[in-house]
Amino acid sequence: MRDMDRRTFLLSTGRWLAVASLAPAVSGCARALRWSESQGRTVSEEDVGTTATTSSEASTTSTTGSVTSSGSTSSTAAAPIPDLVVIRGDSPDKNVRAALAKLGGMERFVEPDARVVVKPNVLTGRPPEYATTTNPIVVATVVRLCLEAGAAEVTVLDYPTSSPRAAFKESGLAQAVGEAGGKLKYLSSRNFERVEIPEGEAITSWPLVSDVLEADTFINLPIAKTHGLAGLTLAMKNLMGIMGDPRSQIHLDYPKKITDLNTVVKPHLVILDAYRVLMRNGPTGGNLGDVEMPKTVVAGTSQVAIDAYGATIMGWRPSDLPSLVEAAGRGLGEIELSRYRVVEGTA
Amino acid sequence: MKLHRYRRIFQILFLVIFLALLTFTVWPLGTIFLGGFLLADPLLALNSVANGVVRWELALALPVLLSPLFFGRAFCGYVCPLGFMVELLGPRRERHPGPRARKILRRVPLFGLVAVLLLILFGSAVFLVFDPLSLFTRTATTLAYPAVDRGLRLAGDVLYLAPPLRGSVDSVTEVLTGRLVFANGLAYKLQLVMLVMFLGVVAISYVERRLWCRHLCPLGALLGLVGRRAIYGRVVNDSACVACEACAAACPMDAVRDGGRSTDCSRCQLGLECADACSQDAIRWGRRPRKQHVHDPSRRALLKAGGLAFVGGFFLFTGLGRVQRDAHLIRPPGARFELDFMATCARCGQCMKVCPTNVIQPAVFDAGVEGFFTPQMDYRRSYCDWNCNECGRVCPTQAIRELTLEEKHLKVIGRAYIDHNTCIPWSEDRDCLVCQELCPIPDKAIVFTTGGGGQGRGAGQGAGQGGQTSEGIKLPHVVPQRCIGCGVCEYNCPVANEAAIRVRAIEQTGLLSR
Repeated sequence: MRDMDRRTFLLSTGRWLAVASLAPAVSGCARALRWSESQGRTVSEEDVGTTATTSSEASTTSTTGSVTSSGSTSSTAAAPIPDLVVIRGDSPDKNVRAALAKLGGMERFVEPDARVVVKPNVLTGRPPEYATTTNPIVVATVVRLCLEAGAAEVTVLDYPTSSPRAAFKESGLAQAVGEAGGKLKYLSSRNFERVEIPEGEAITSWPLVSDVLEADTFINLPIAKTHGLAGLTLAMKNLMGIMGDPRSQIHLDYPKKITDLNTVVKPHLVILDAYRVLMRNGPTGGNLGDVEMPKTVVAGTSQVAIDAYGATIMGWRPSDLPSLVEAAGRGLGEIELSRYRVVEGTA
Repeated sequence: MKLHRYRRIFQILFLVIFLALLTFTVWPLGTIFLGGFLLADPLLALNSVANGVVRWELALALPVLLSPLFFGRAFCGYVCPLGFMVELLGPRRERHPGPRARKILRRVPLFGLVAVLLLILFGSAVFLVFDPLSLFTRTATTLAYPAVDRGLRLAGDVLYLAPPLRGSVDSVTEVLTGRLVFANGLAYKLQLVMLVMFLGVVAISYVERRLWCRHLCPLGALLGLVGRRAIYGRVVNDSACVACEACAAACPMDAVRDGGRSTDCSRCQLGLECADACSQDAIRWGRRPRKQHVHDPSRRALLKAGGLAFVGGFFLFTGLGRVQRDAHLIRPPGARFELDFMATCARCGQCMKVCPTNVIQPAVFDAGVEGFFTPQMDYRRSYCDWNCNECGRVCPTQAIRELTLEEKHLKVIGRAYIDHNTCIPWSEDRDCLVCQELCPIPDKAIVFTTGGGGQGRGAGQGAGQGGQTSEGIKLPHVVPQRCIGCGVCEYNCPVANEAAIRVRAIEQTGLLSR
């Protein structure tokens, strides 16, 4: 030990102590912050509101059956806006554009300078041909439409079950979103905040992605796939991707829990990608033989309506999906398709 | 030539290159080659060659191995990042524990080399735990990068409190995720053990200055052996020397002998602190004359060391229990069979560094003393990502062989087993099926039957096996012929603590035919 007098000794000890106490102080702050966050907040209608047109209004004036348009993508201004638009065609890009045109244009959902959040299904990383993740062309087109409507920024996010960089890269989404001018967001624990679910029966609160709650426009962009537990994964289940951990608990008592979530999070616009769909071994897939190509896109504003129609594309009756029955029972929407005003077309 | 004045710059440069290469060792690797330092390590290369692993990249080790013929242990003074750390963090002034201890310590390198040779013959690479480059890679991987990960995360969390900064934090996060910040948050088993080991290497410098580099480092010993009669090195002008021994006191490597006149080239790292300390200006760097003294340990010392090392090595080996296959000791995909694996694994931790999910963890004592720091899959911590085969690509010794992604998708490293006593559908009569959902095998290695007397596929089987369960409950089953043991099911199982589906090591069957 070097010779040092008491004064130097005390000074150096003091310095070291100051440095050493810095780390606990910082982590203490972090803990305090987390504590305050965990007090939770209740989502008000302003945060995640439904859009101006409500499906309940429309359903009273619904036409039975569907109106098949002649294939032109322009809709007449006088015609009432349908609840569901179904477009088939060889180009995913044109399908989405046609669907949005019939739904009143993206301007209906995205105001100038709006901050838009888009939630595709990026369960894990697989190339788009396997229909495991939302078609990158569909996502890119939605991003472009939002920007064309004047959105300030379009954030594309999901919380994949495998490493996020790999998932977004392998699914082709990282590239597609970048090229379309959107912003990719990798989620971290700081992006979740605990949200009360006042109408929750199985879950009364859960950490959700705060960007979704704060967005001016939230667009749900699922892909249609089979699913072992749920039967099918469509729009309602896609919202699991904005839930924080412990997410795997959602599988226990799944129909109730996914319905609980859908009582607080109501996307302004839902576009179901059924260009390629996964008919077996979903939701992860991996066999090209399990993929079918209905080349369809379904757009609307009601999660339940989209799921009910999506089920028919997959060859299911809406009433066969327990989560859909649960959601309908709790007043989230109708599962009887004849109650909706459906417009079908080609692009 | 005053190149030695710039020694510190060389050290910093190599440290920066080393850390830069290690930092870029993340998924996706691309085509740049990142394990350069470890491939150029002659000790690793010798062990690999002895075990029949020959690849052209090992040629990198040849110049390093042969350099001591010309320059002695310049590698230790100019390149080795661990040597730099020891130098930087250790004491500056000469200290040693006394002449008797010193005499013994000077024999350690030879002793160590004989022990290394014996271990190679016995097929154990456990000595590579002490290889300086392996040790430094391992320390940086398990300590530095998790610290960076946590620090950046914390900084992001704090900055996120200011809403105007959120956009920039998000953009930075987008760039860093999967590179420096990881979804799970990097953490390694018993990081404290690695810290103690690294600090120990530095701390023994307080017993004798740079004790690690002088006497203990096995790579240093190997280079020293090659460089015993180095062509270039410290040259003393005999007529000018006044035998003041200032050089001996200045030498950080204990390489000065005979009162300053001769040099132990098996230790001299060409730092030439001696020349700077010489009041007579009698020391310079140059071609060593034939007549210059060569320090030569007596033959008796060599024999003694050899004999002792043989006995020591023998007992060391028998003391290391061969790993009995533990059901939960699962090696990364592409790993050789256990005995080969133990013989080749460099314990460097590059596979752990590159792993994007942090599933590869050091086996601290799970694989026996001999298997210290060999890679092991910890499926409660994480899972093996379907899209990644990088561990085999960074392994410097091919203890984990490189697999193409197609091969990796078929590579069986274990098999999942469901514990019906804890599995939620089987024991609690509730739907769950997380494992089946996330199973990444294209045909699903986990399928389900419907419980009770219910309908649906496999109803007959379900009726028999799930007799206790209600109608319609979906019961998971593993299809053994399809499971590769990636651990996605175990990681995601919602049963707390020990998962109800666990991957166990099975006798390795190579690739599945599909």
